[in-house]
Formats: sequence, structure tokens, C-alpha cells
Amino acid sequence: MSLFSAISISASGMEAQRSRAELITENLANADTTRTPEGGPYKRKDAVFTATPVSYSFADQLSMVSGQSDGVAMSDVAVDDSDPERRYMPGHPDADAEGYVAFPKINTAEEMVDLLSASRSYQANVAAFTAVKDMIARSIDLFR
Amino acid sequence: MPVNQTGMDLGNFLSYLSQRQEVISSNIANADTPGYKTRDVEMPISFSAEFQEARATVVGAPGLVTRNDGNNVSIDREARLLAENTLKFNVAAQSLRAQLKNLRSAIEEGRAS
Repeated sequence: MSLFSAISISASGMEAQRSRAELITENLANADTTRTPEGGPYKRKDAVFTATPVSYSFADQLSMVSGQSDGVAMSDVAVDDSDPERRYMPGHPDADAEGYVAFPKINTAEEMVDLLSASRSYQANVAAFTAVKDMIARSIDLFR
Repeated sequence: MPVNQTGMDLGNFLSYLSQRQEVISSNIANADTPGYKTRDVEMPISFSAEFQEARATVVGAPGLVTRNDGNNVSIDREARLLAENTLKFNVAAQSLRAQLKNLRSAIEEGRAS
């Protein structure tokens, strides 16, 4: 039943965008974090999306009609391994011998733009979801 | 000739529209996926008999600009198709309801409204 798989696809899009927003807020929250359990400053994380088939209904799996349209999934979290930003703060407890502190390389403006983009994409998926829901409701109306 | 050919054709049209909706949802969900290419469902020449056997074929959409990440989903195009598809579905579902109402009227020999 394609309408129900369309709902699953939109739901996968919503889930992926929400995970992306989570990573962005994590980056923003840790923009000044100089200590992590792994040692060193916090490293910026980025979501990697891949098109993947969503789990279809039981009936669809039986008739093997799936595979024409894909949902989306966050397949990987890319960690930014570039050199940290060094700021001269001799009084800081994490300062090295020369008085420099390694801070995460996070551009707040860039993160805010990404967050906006994730939020808009989420809204687009919700719009598609609502449209499909209305279509299913119309189909149910046929019984009346 | 089946009793309600128009009704069956409308049913096939609804099934085509739900397939298209699935593809549009997929395009919207993958608007940020690197390398993803916009898909579309080819409109069958006729919604009668032969449509029932095969699902409409999924094709690429021409004339879209591919961005640096290899993705060519235009969210405006998808929003337009989403609205268009929902409206078409509503029209077809409404027509099908009217068809079924006629059929019922014939079964009840025109007695009930």
C-alpha cells in the first residue's frame, strides 16, 4: 500500500532531520568545551544522510513491490578532525606551556544556518506527511 | 465490460496518485541527501486494464539543476507536486464516491436517495 509507505518515508525524513538538529545543538552547546572524555577540546560533528528503503508493510514485503522510492537515514556522524582553534589565554586552566588554549573549531553562525535548514526540511516532511494523511482520510470516506 | 468501468478507472488513477505521492515524499525526505536524484512516476497512457498488472514506472525528472553535492531535489517543485497531487486525489476520490452512490441507487432501484 503506497500511501502507508509514503507516511513511513516522511517519518524517516523527520527522524533524520531531528537527529541532524540534535547534532547541531550539541555543537552549539559545546562551542567552548575544552575538555572531553577522549581528551582535548570538543570536535564538531556533522550528520551524513543516505537514501535507504524504509520498512514497508507486511503485505508489500510479500508481493516484493518495494524499492522504487527511498526514505532517508542518518548513516554516519562525521567528526571534524581538523586542528583546534588556539586562543591565547594564559590564565586558563587548560592553557599549554605557551599560554594557548585549544578550543573547538565551531562557527556559531554556520551552525545556526544549518539548524534553520534542518528545521525547514523537517517542516517540509511534516507537510508531506499531512498531505498523505488527508489522502488516506479521503479514501476512508469512500466507505461512507 | 465491467459494471462500473469508470469506477475501476478512477480506482487505478487513485493507485497511480498514491504511487506518485510516495515518490514525492521520498524526494522531500532526501532533499539533503548527497547524490540523490529527483524521481517521478510516469503517467500511464491509459488507466484501464493494463495498468493493473504493472506499477507505473519510476523515472528521473529532467531539467533540474544539480548542486555541488550531486543532489538535484528542488523543494519548490516538490511542494507544487504535493499540492497538485493531493487536489487530484481529492477530485478522484469525490468522483468515485459519486460513482458508488449511483451504483447503490441502481441496486436499490432508485428508491433510496
